Amino acid sequence: MDTIVTVSGFVKRYKKHLAVDGVDLTVHKGEIYGLIGPDGSGKSSLMKAIAGVLTYDKGSVEVFGTLVDSERAAERVKQRIGFLPQGLGLNLYPDLSVEENIDFFARLRLVPERDLRERKTRLLAMTHLDKFRERAMKKLSGGMKQKLGLICTLIHEPELAILDEPTTGVDPVSRRDFWSILAALIQEKGMTALVSTAYMDEAERFHRLSFLSGGKVLASGTPTEVQALAPGSMVTVEATPQVEVIARLKKSFRQVESLGPLVHVFTDRVDQAAAKLEIETALAGLTPSAVRADKPELEDVFVALLLRSAERKESPGGLPTSTAAHGHDGLAIEAQGLIRDFGSFRAVDRVSFRVKQGEIFGLLGANGAGKTTVIKMLNGILSPTEGAGLVAGADMKTAGGTIKQRIGYMSQAFSLYMDLTVEENIRLFAGIYGLDTGAMNKRFQWIVGMAGLSGYESSLTSRLPMGVRQRLALGCALVHSPRVLFLDEPTSGVDPIGRRRFWEILSKLAREDGVAILITTHYMREAEHCDHLALMYAGRIVAEGAPADMKRHVEQEAGRLFEVVVDQPGLALAHVQQAGFRGAALFGTKLHVFCRDPVRDKACACRALEESGVRVMSVNERSLSLEDVFVYHAMALEQAEQAAGRHVVAA
Amino acid sequence: MNMRRTAAVARKEWKETVRDRLFLLMAFLLPGLWMVVFGYGLVLDVEHVPFAVLDRDQSSSSRDYLYRFIKSRYFDYRGSVREEREIDRLLGDTSIRMAIVVPERFEERLLAGRSVTVQTLLDGTFPLHADTAKGYVIAVNNSFTQELLTDFLTRTRGLVPGEAHRLTEPVSLETRYLYNEEVRSTWSMVPALIMFTLMVASPLLTALGVVREKETGSIYNIYSSTASKAEFLVGKLAPYFVISTINVAVLWMIAVWLFQVPFKGNIAVFFAASMLFVLCSIGIGLVISLLVRTQMAALIITIIIAMVPTLLFSGLLVPVSSLSPGAQVQAHLFPMMYYTAVVRGSFLKGLGLESMWTDVLALACFAVVLWLVAYGLFTKRPKA
Repeated sequence: MDTIVTVSGFVKRYKKHLAVDGVDLTVHKGEIYGLIGPDGSGKSSLMKAIAGVLTYDKGSVEVFGTLVDSERAAERVKQRIGFLPQGLGLNLYPDLSVEENIDFFARLRLVPERDLRERKTRLLAMTHLDKFRERAMKKLSGGMKQKLGLICTLIHEPELAILDEPTTGVDPVSRRDFWSILAALIQEKGMTALVSTAYMDEAERFHRLSFLSGGKVLASGTPTEVQALAPGSMVTVEATPQVEVIARLKKSFRQVESLGPLVHVFTDRVDQAAAKLEIETALAGLTPSAVRADKPELEDVFVALLLRSAERKESPGGLPTSTAAHGHDGLAIEAQGLIRDFGSFRAVDRVSFRVKQGEIFGLLGANGAGKTTVIKMLNGILSPTEGAGLVAGADMKTAGGTIKQRIGYMSQAFSLYMDLTVEENIRLFAGIYGLDTGAMNKRFQWIVGMAGLSGYESSLTSRLPMGVRQRLALGCALVHSPRVLFLDEPTSGVDPIGRRRFWEILSKLAREDGVAILITTHYMREAEHCDHLALMYAGRIVAEGAPADMKRHVEQEAGRLFEVVVDQPGLALAHVQQAGFRGAALFGTKLHVFCRDPVRDKACACRALEESGVRVMSVNERSLSLEDVFVYHAMALEQAEQAAGRHVVAA
Repeated sequence: MNMRRTAAVARKEWKETVRDRLFLLMAFLLPGLWMVVFGYGLVLDVEHVPFAVLDRDQSSSSRDYLYRFIKSRYFDYRGSVREEREIDRLLGDTSIRMAIVVPERFEERLLAGRSVTVQTLLDGTFPLHADTAKGYVIAVNNSFTQELLTDFLTRTRGLVPGEAHRLTEPVSLETRYLYNEEVRSTWSMVPALIMFTLMVASPLLTALGVVREKETGSIYNIYSSTASKAEFLVGKLAPYFVISTINVAVLWMIAVWLFQVPFKGNIAVFFAASMLFVLCSIGIGLVISLLVRTQMAALIITIIIAMVPTLLFSGLLVPVSSLSPGAQVQAHLFPMMYYTAVVRGSFLKGLGLESMWTDVLALACFAVVLWLVAYGLFTKRPKA
């Protein structure tokens, strides 16, 4: 196999900060190589150095057989590379139209005008951007910006595409779209891609990958190889009382996670029967209503690896229990027919839902679906055009001030003061909410204990790791003991252990303190933690229910999900879709296909593949993930919309 | 240099500048506005000094004496007062800057052939103003005294007024102002303001334009492409050069038409030198942009660099020749001084290239050096 990139002993420092510490990496021709890791793990530095736009301190980077060690050497390989820097659409020019952006990139790369026209037409059609040629880039949605970024990076048909977190901040449907476009292009042109992501669940989309943490490679290889590094099983238990279940399991297992009513436990035992037995023994008397053992997902493996490598089991030290007993019943949020218009644009359309005290409610949807507008209305920041809402017992229309006193709010940006210490930040927020000194001290102790901040009290916020910063932001949002908590994409850029820790705190807040939590997220895996979900599309709620119910509902409608392993995934996808399996999508080297009749449809799909010369290696049934649910709904709605559009045109 | 790549960068930059409202205003409105505001604001002429009088004599002579002040364009009569206390109040709240007190028996003493003392009270808050006003007072007073004398001679000796005048002023002084015949500070200031305006507007546009790309990360499109450093710099800055050149023409028109400053020199030389100066100022903006990371830092540093040396050393307010020796050396280290000389020379003195070629050459050298420095600082493979 041809080697495209060889990195060995790579070290990059920014002044005193060691960003990448001795990384080795080889990328072969024709593969999609993934770099996975949380913010600050060194992915960007490594990719920039390979693209020849960043110097490095030690080691060597060889691209297309050229040692990239100087500006001059880097220039020699740049024509063969396409580089998409981090940040959604940030490298594009907001005031230029879609077409002008593409033209600029093409001319910068000296693409002949005829090739440019041809490629532009093809790529715009492929990404469904052809209708928006004239639209200014700043008026595109997140997913569209991301696709435009991809077109601009690939317009000169580079042999190696280096894409730095192309999917961050984009909803699952756009993400899935993006991956299939990328896969098709790579297949077609024999391109090689080096792609980084902070979403662990995207790991399966890579042929090979490296998992980075703290500037070091923790694991690398094919997804299967990486999986083999932490052999074991993931056991799912359903038993009550959950708090007690978790406490018992934690005594013997490190990876325990509650997902709604379920508890996930990772064990080293590969044999699933033995694993189940082990868990049941550990429960010591509590009889579970359901136990299932599965192969662990890559994210579970990463967490296991992280825990093993760092041995940094931060003891949660027993989260402090609430001081006052709160009622767990009663409505925390009630939205009734909320409508919000911006000019002629209806951002939110008749949205109704209820959230009970002690419930975690997830609001899902693509960028621009109206999630943030709903939150703003409920917070009393934005007044609804129509409809009513009660939040923490106050009417959102008339009692905006009261609502703000009774709720906590944490945004994606964390809104902390970076130049203040942890303690100063907490005290500042306490001051803003008018806590007296006694209450402030008590609350400070509680937050430090709850968020695991002890030892960090006098550290500057800007120096904290992302995970700790996130917990601090949560602490600050909870400083006035609110009964309702709003979280707007709170876990971006945090490593998996940090995320799990965060969710542990959230479940505890909900289960024990009875706090109602409304959260928005793009991580479908996180949505599994929610008790209740609502999926928004174009301002409306289009599906609603507990995660398990939503999955069951899709299975009833679309059928069971099969994972097909083939030798030419890109080609296979096209053929399966042609054969009538519209919901089919690509997951790295694997194909996901819904089959209404497991036996007949499966055979039909396989036949379609075999006939077109694709070799089917294996077909396995898989349980649905929430991402499958999300994509299923979104695709169905889009198709309905297109059909309606055609109908209007015909009429 | 590949022209297609350069043109692609230039075209993109032009579209962005024209479509971004803030950049558009900064490119075309800021310079004109700056010029007009400073053109009206930075007037150093001392005219219309407000004053009041206290006439204790109330005679025809005293009225005659005071009338000479009242009718002068250098003074602005604000009324007469009855008591000295009122003068204090008026001077205190700056309704007047000067007061003239004519003593009692002014006429009587003069007619008796005795000397009289008239008191002038001047607000000394602005020494330069007070000095100038004092000069005007002395001049008016002298002319009054001289007339008295001439009058006396004609009356007593029976001389014709011309002869009497010769006797009273044997040496007469004739002053002619060159270049700025009416000694209007506007004429001297407005041409130099073209320099000041260009020095602020062009580097600001350049620095923000480049740093904006660094801030958003779109500079990586250039880093990762095969466009050469020269192609990028030329393409990126060409639109700013064009904009600044348009501004030179606009500013020239404001000077000539709005402020009525005569242009006596060679228009071709003036524009050529202006373009060289624009290259210098863009070069300064470029160097700044390569040293900072954020638009905010670029803004602050550019304003400081554009303002401080310009106000102190360019000859805008104080002629370079009257600076201290140390300051004179510093003045030569910035391109502003040379361009100020060219602008004033072209507008007021009507000089051509033969007498200003050293200044033009200096500007060319500055442009070359600044661009070379920028070229050296710019790297497509940075450390961070």
